[in-house]
Order: sequence, then structure tokens, then C-alpha cells
Amino acid sequence: MKFARLIAALAGMALLAAFPVAVANPYYIHLLETIMIYAILLFGLDIVVGYTGQVSLGHAGLFGIGSYVAGVLFTQMHAPLALTLVVAIFVTAIFGAVLALPALRVSGPYLAMVTLAFGTIIQILINEMTFLTNGPMGIKLAKPVLLGHKLDDREFFWLVAVLMVLSLIVVHRILRSHLGRAFEALRGSPIASDCMGVSVYRYKVYAFVVSAGLAGLAGALYSYSEQYISPNTYNFELTVLFLLAVIMGGRKTRSGALLGATIIVMLPKLLDDLELFRIVACTLAVLMAVGAAVGISKKITTPKAMAIPVVGTIALAVFSFWLQSITDWRLTVFGLMILFVVYYLQDGIVGFARNLLGRKAVVALSTAAPVSNAKDAVTMASKAHLGAAGSDLLLARGILMQFGGLKAINMVDLQVKRGTIHGLIGPNGSGKSTMMNILTGIYAPTAGNIEFDARALLGRTSSDIAQLGIARTFQNVQLFGEMTVLQNVQVGLHHTFNSNIADVVLNTPRYRREDSAATERGLGLLDFVGLQDLAFEEARNLPYGKQRLLEIARALALDPQLLLLDEPAAGLTAPDIKELITIIRKIRDHGITVILIEHHMDVVMSICDSVSVLDFGQKIAEGTPAAVQADEKVIEAYLGSTVA
Amino acid sequence: MLRIRNLEAGYGKVQVLHGISIDVPKGSVVTLIGSNGAGKTTTMRAVSGMIKPTAGEITLNGARIDGLESYTVAKRGLAHSPEGRRVFATMSVADNLLLGAFPRLTGSRPKGDVAGDLERALELFPRLRERRTQLAGTLSGGEQQMLAMARAVMLNPDIVLLDEPSMGLAPILVEEVFRIIASLKARGVTMLLVEQFAAAALKVADYGYVLENGRIFVHGEASKLRDDPAVKAAYLGGGH
Repeated sequence: MKFARLIAALAGMALLAAFPVAVANPYYIHLLETIMIYAILLFGLDIVVGYTGQVSLGHAGLFGIGSYVAGVLFTQMHAPLALTLVVAIFVTAIFGAVLALPALRVSGPYLAMVTLAFGTIIQILINEMTFLTNGPMGIKLAKPVLLGHKLDDREFFWLVAVLMVLSLIVVHRILRSHLGRAFEALRGSPIASDCMGVSVYRYKVYAFVVSAGLAGLAGALYSYSEQYISPNTYNFELTVLFLLAVIMGGRKTRSGALLGATIIVMLPKLLDDLELFRIVACTLAVLMAVGAAVGISKKITTPKAMAIPVVGTIALAVFSFWLQSITDWRLTVFGLMILFVVYYLQDGIVGFARNLLGRKAVVALSTAAPVSNAKDAVTMASKAHLGAAGSDLLLARGILMQFGGLKAINMVDLQVKRGTIHGLIGPNGSGKSTMMNILTGIYAPTAGNIEFDARALLGRTSSDIAQLGIARTFQNVQLFGEMTVLQNVQVGLHHTFNSNIADVVLNTPRYRREDSAATERGLGLLDFVGLQDLAFEEARNLPYGKQRLLEIARALALDPQLLLLDEPAAGLTAPDIKELITIIRKIRDHGITVILIEHHMDVVMSICDSVSVLDFGQKIAEGTPAAVQADEKVIEAYLGSTVA
Repeated sequence: MLRIRNLEAGYGKVQVLHGISIDVPKGSVVTLIGSNGAGKTTTMRAVSGMIKPTAGEITLNGARIDGLESYTVAKRGLAHSPEGRRVFATMSVADNLLLGAFPRLTGSRPKGDVAGDLERALELFPRLRERRTQLAGTLSGGEQQMLAMARAVMLNPDIVLLDEPSMGLAPILVEEVFRIIASLKARGVTMLLVEQFAAAALKVADYGYVLENGRIFVHGEASKLRDDPAVKAAYLGGGH
């Protein structure tokens, strides 16, 4: 499999290298060159759109910045090519960081508006800053000089090809590493990312910076390729084309970006020529019909669902022969095709092909994955601390949490001893989950102070607190749904990586060592909660109870000293609960302190060392499980009369 | 009333249900029990049209409903109170309840006495009356659960599907939920119930099915299942 891929990649590169020799026509050389330049940008755009799930309508602006950095350096300073490219990448990356700032505050349509404004401002600035950019007149460039040799069209093509392949490798390596998992985790659940020690803030900025750097490189190459740049190239239409390319090609794939680039470059040309359009329309109809037939025979789709697209493409083919001249219909046909793809191929063309062939998007790391010893996977809470068993691990005093006039938590003290399981119970809406959110830094309390392991917690961010050693699960499950079960746990193992982006890109021994260690430990942790068989399943496909177990495994990956479990038994039936109790006991035996919110009294009573009871934000009782269970106030507010 | 025959369904390429058959006669309460991943929620989703079955037949009052969209199934008289409540968080309690009666207000179901039904629902759930103008998102978990159940009843349905109505609730509220199920039953509402508290579910139900790995492992009258040693050992351990 891997070998076949290598051969295919080498063959592709050889074809690419031979292309300008075989095809002498400079028009086609330039066309393919443009496709490769767009592909570089799309690799980057896909990081932001596909992986972190943010919308960016500012990439045409970034592309323009890269172009103009090259243009200005060329005309004003006659800078050498290598320097120009580096500066273009660097300057655009800085603008990318600026573009990331609004993304930290807003998302969805609001972010789209802000990034759109960014793109527009850039275009206007380029237009107005005549002293630097020559304004609407544009800038003329010559092909660059490399090592004292002026490149001709063909040599420049090779340069672009080499840089495109390099970009592809860099992006591919980043995305399959822990950095890529961090990007994807942001999309799945920002709150959970923060609570796994993966700072949403930092990785959003990283994603935009990397993405912008690639846009800058693409922009600079574009200037040399066109040899003339002017402000109106970098308009709204271009930014929409980029987004369409990612969506049509298929997000989260490099082949999708290549395909998308090809489509947005070729389609307008194709619609200029009626003969060509007829051929393509017929091919499309045949492909669609065959695809539908395969899909139906494999029972992936039904004849009913496929009827409209098949009829539609055939109608398009017939229509193409009825047409006398295509120029009047160009935009209409273009629009129809876009509509078709967005409506029927939501995973993009590559995603659709993968579904059809029944291939998993995520290639299993290795078929015979070594299941390591489960005992090693859950790290013992550090030995220095174990010696101090019985001392306070968590000490919260006078916690007050006010939402407007409502006191969700009213002057609550909480004291949790090291190595114990502490229950937190109370009616719904009594403030238990609010307490969890305060402890993990999601809410900042109105008053009070918290000490964890003799360090103050207040004022720290969620990801800081996670790295200090507090891990949690969520009442309403917060998994990274599109990622596999193993990858979810590996996000929790993010803190075990010391490799930086250079290690990842160069695939250094350090990165490889850390990566294989993370895979092994991830599998070990899954083994610990009994999910090892599902390691390569997407997390969203697991049943509810198993998702809760996965959350526990992911939390344990943080090597926590304190584990907060928010209703782990909700929705579990009696036999599953027994299994859960065993797992929680095993966690405690590893020296990890547990705070447990739970409504199942049999769980609370059988494993907790001490219990606090909240009601209307106040602590109404505390003590051993038996004492709490017999407490009149607790029975009245919470347990009710018929509890066994 | 509701008839399921050889139902097969799943997500993507994962098949969850391997041919199950269930009958819910008019006026009765039938419960599905089983461990996690056995296919209880999947069955509920397939019945109410949230996922499309890959094989099998589902009929409601003699008419096929398998493969129909959820809103059509609701118009035919099947109300689903989903796992995790899913109330309309930014709307008031009263508006949530009226939305439950939406098909009656648009004329796709017989209208009947919507205002009277609203009154009766608030009678059944006194806590919702106290909070009728409050936004549903600000209710506590227990109150949201009651709202989800009340909303389902507002359809004036032929049958109600209740998926894990006691999930995440304090013990005192779990009792309340079962009291409400019993009083709905006394009013003649037909129900298909999925519950983690199998023992309590079998107490209120007339008939039960035990699911295991997407197949029916055993079924029978609720009282008999309660005494079945195999069921007892596997599913009825532990109260609240």
C-alpha cells in the first residue's frame, strides 16, 4: 500500500517534470503553473477551513500581500529570488496572525464578515498606496534570477513544481502530527481542546499563520508567473473561488486541494470552447451514471437519491449539443455546476470518490498495532506526591459565582484529600457542573480562592489548569467527533510532545519517537477502558456509553493528579455501571484523586470516600457516604423517600 | 398500533440493528432494555424517521412509516421525546409546548382542543406552570426533561416514544418521572419506553423486550421478565 503510493507519487512528479519538455506550448505550461500556485494556497486554506473549521474570506487579500511583497522587492530593491520568497512568506504570515485575532472572538457568519472586510481593506490599500504599489497601474516584473541565472518559462515551471511538492510535504506532515490533531480538535470542541491542555487561542493563531505563509508563497510565485500584477486581481471573486475550490475538491485532503485548483483554473477556460464543453458534459454524464450504478449495486445509495443528479448531468450533456454558442451561457453553466457540487457532493469530489470506493479517510496507522501493557498507559501520579497521601490536593474557599442576580454557587468550601474519591451530589441545577467549570477555569468565580497542589488556580486559563494536572469529562459529551477514537486520546497526549514545527516538518527522530510513543500509549489507554477494538472508528459513531468511556481515557491521557468526572454513569445500564465502578477504582489505585458528580446513588455510595451535597448553590451536607445518606436535609432535597 | 418487523438500521457502514420485531398494542406501555450499544436509541430513531432503516417494515395504525421524514411521522401521530431532551432553549416554556402541537395548528393533524391540552399538560407538570414564561434553556435538567415529555404529549399523539427520560436526573426526580409515566399510562397514552433503570421501567410497563447486540434476546410480559433469572442477573442489578 505504502509502496504503491510512493510509486504513484514518483510517477506524478516525473510527469510534472517532463510536462514542459513534452508540451512546448507556453500557454499550457502557464496554465499548469497557475494550478500549482493555487494549489499551494489551497493547502493552506484547507488548514483553516477544513481542519480548524473557521471560514476565511480574506485569503485573496493574503494572496495579494504575497504578490505585492514580491513586486515591491523586485522593483524597488532588485532583491534576489530566495530572499523575496522568504520575506513574502514572513510578511504574509504576520498578516495572517492579524487575521486570526477576530477569529479568536467570533465565528461563523461573523468571522466571514470580518475576514471579508480584511480582504477588501487590503485590496483598497494596494490600490491607494501608490508610492509603494504603483496603484491601479500595477507592477511589471521579469522572471527571477536564481544563482546568477535568469530563469526561462520552463525553468520557472520547475521551480514552482518543486515548491508545490515541498509545500505538500510540509502541510501533510504538519496535519498528520500532533499539531494537525490540535487544529482538528478546535473544530470538534473548543472547550474540550482547552481542557486537554491544547490552547484554542494559540492553535487558532498557528493555523492562520501557517495558512497565510502558504498564501504568501503562492502570491509571490504568482507575480513572477504573470509578470504583471494589479490590485483588481485580488478581489472578492477570487476569494470565493478559493473557498469553492476547497469545498468542491474535498476538504481535509491534499488531493482535493489539487483537484480544486485544477477546477477553478480550467473550468472558465473550458466554458470558452463549445466543443470541449460538449466532451466534458458527456464525460460527466457517463461518470455520474457509472458512479450511481456502482453506488446502488453496493447499496451505499438508493435509485431514488441518484435519479436527479443522473438525469441532471444527462440533461446538461443534451443541452450542450443544443447550444449554438456558449459565451452567453458561460456564467449560468458555471453557477449550475457549483450548485450541483455543493448540493450533492458535500464531502467534495475526493470525499465522494472515497465513500464510493468504501475507503476510510483515515488510514490505519498499522494493522498489527501493538497493544501495550495497560498498566503502563495510565501514569502513576508522581511519587513525590504519593508520599503525601492524606494531605489536601484541592482546597477551595468561599467560592461565589454570580450570574446576574442569581447566585449559582454561594460561599462554598471544598476540600479534597489526595488519593480519595470525593462525591459531589445534589439536585439538578444545584451548581455541581458550575463548580466543575470553575475548577477547570471555564468560569471565573465572582469571589473566593482555590488552591491546587499548593498553587493558586484563579486567573489561569483552562489549558494552563489542564497542564497543571486537572483533567475532566463533560456531562454533555464533548468529543472530537470527526476524529478517530485513538486520535481523541492522542489529543489528550498533546502535552507529551516536545517537538516543534521544525521537528514535524523535517520528521526528525525526536518527533518520530514521540509520535510512536503517543500511539502506543493511546492504544494502552483505550485498552484500560476497554475500547481498543474501536481505536480506528470515528468517535461520533460510538454509542453514548462508549463515548463516555472514551472521555475518561482522553482525560487520563493528560496524566492528571485530579480527575473530574461529570455524570459518567448517565445513560448506562446496570452491567455497564459495574464496569465503570471498576474503572474508577483502578484510576484511584493509580494515585489519581477523583471528584465524581453522579446521580446513581449505588455508584456514589460504593466508591466515594467522602461526599459533599449542594442545593441551590449552597453546601447542605458533607461527610462519609453513609452519614450523608442518612441526613434529613439530603433526603428531603435530593434522595426522596424510596431510595434503597 | 405500532408494528416493527425485521428492522435493520445503522450509521454509515456500521450496522446496529440486525432484524428486530416489536409490537406496541394500543393503550399499552412497552419498554426496551439492554446494555449500551445494544441498539435501543437506534430503534427509536429509526421508528421516528431520524435515520433511514436499511431493511424491514414499520407500520403505525396499519400504514407504513419506515423511510418517511420525521415531520411526516409526527403528522401521522408519533411523538418522540429524544435522548438528551433537545428543548428549544431560546423559547419560552409555553412556546415550546405549543410547538409540540404544531401539526395540529397547521391542520395536518386534527386540531382538537389545543388550549385545553396545554392546560392539562401544565396540570400534569406543575413545575412547568410555575415557569411557563421562562426560557427553556434556563430550566434545570429535570425541568427540561419534563418539558420534553410534555411537548411530546402536546401532539395529542397515538404513541409516544420516550428515550431515557430519567437520564441525568436526581433520584428524587427519577421517581417523579416514573410517576408521570404511570399517570400518562392511566390516561390511556400508548408508550414505547427506553430506560436505564430497567427495574423501574419493567414495573411501569406491560411488556418488555431485551436487546442484545442489535437482536432481541428475550421478550415477554413485564412481570415475567422481572422474575426471569437471566434478565435479573444481567440488567436489573442496582436501584438508583
